[in-house]
Amino acid sequence: MTDARKSQGKKLSELELIDRAKQGDAEAFESLYNLHKRRVYSLCLRMTANTAAAEDLTQEAFLQLFRKIGTFRGESAFSTWLHRMAVNVVLMQLRKKGLPVVPLDDTVETEDEIPKKELGGPDRNLAGSIDRLQLQRAVDDLPPGYRSIFVLHDVEGYEHNEIAEIVGCSVGNSKSQLHKARLKLRELLKTSRAEKARRP
Amino acid sequence: MNCEEFELALPDVDDDPTIEQQSHLNSCSACAELVADLDAISQQAKLLGSSDEPSPRVWNFIEIALRQEGLIREQRSEPFLVPRRPPRRRLEWLIPVAAMLLLMLGIVQYKRTSGPVASRTSNAEMASTSQIADAAYIADDQQLLEVVSRRTPAMLASYKANLQDVNSYIRDAEESVKMDPNDEQARRDLMNAYEQRSMVYEMALDRSLQ
Repeated sequence: MTDARKSQGKKLSELELIDRAKQGDAEAFESLYNLHKRRVYSLCLRMTANTAAAEDLTQEAFLQLFRKIGTFRGESAFSTWLHRMAVNVVLMQLRKKGLPVVPLDDTVETEDEIPKKELGGPDRNLAGSIDRLQLQRAVDDLPPGYRSIFVLHDVEGYEHNEIAEIVGCSVGNSKSQLHKARLKLRELLKTSRAEKARRP
Repeated sequence: MNCEEFELALPDVDDDPTIEQQSHLNSCSACAELVADLDAISQQAKLLGSSDEPSPRVWNFIEIALRQEGLIREQRSEPFLVPRRPPRRRLEWLIPVAAMLLLMLGIVQYKRTSGPVASRTSNAEMASTSQIADAAYIADDQQLLEVVSRRTPAMLASYKANLQDVNSYIRDAEESVKMDPNDEQARRDLMNAYEQRSMVYEMALDRSLQ
């Protein structure tokens, strides 16, 4: 079977599940949950850096989706709909806690948040030596505003115009914050590597 | 173009640098390293997605909420999903009996740990009641898992995990009540935990009879 036909088969199967879920079928709900739980949970975890909060938000995102499943008409992919809902749930939670979703202005950054520029100085190249676990820890250590933009763009694959619409900022701001997030990560990774090298 | 100008323009440089920017990259090793590092971070970030899984309790809570809100409705005919088997009459008695036993045990436990009686109840008495409850739970759980393994073996791991989670929730809630028997929230949490356990039993036995 070609890839196109395989994906068509899978798509029909998901549409069937959605149809059965609309009729109240418990197993259909569970199957839809199992199909998408990893992606939603990963998104929540990356953006909150907290497993308990991520589980609560995953639960909330799926509940909101399942409550509205009767209105799903299939105009967009189900996964897109779910993913967008999960992002909104996370952002609403961050806003409720008073945490910045994205810094609006360069001037609001604290001393710790500003990535240190090392142009022209002696430096060791990171390329080819980034450990996934180290990067995960570094992302968790990012300030919340930087973390949101970085996760949405580099991890989840949203474009800047989509991020701007979701978080309510300009495209230019999204690009600028992403750049600063990456600079900050570079700094964190180098610090972590230097500390590791100093240990006996 | 100097390094500072290049750095300022970097947020807008995607995969297509201008001739001036490319020329600076070719001549400046520091900026070239910076770009390489940022690219590496961006590429590695793609591997961070979809690698983690939530605990089984997340689905448990979702399912309970969906049932409570009436979004999950019992299906009258299921031509595709689970093949119907004739009901085994000898197991039908398990549902109401198991649910009643659990609820009664929960009520006894709840009453012992609530109100003025709680402050007079000795720790030893509470510990022994808790031990009796634990032993009863273990026996009930084993019996339930035997039924599930016979009827729907594919669901066994899931129900084992669900029972572990909900038993852990009960133990935590019991601890909280033990520490402060007058804590209303702790007592509500404990009742909630017993209800969830009862619901897990109901769901497991309900499915295994289909």
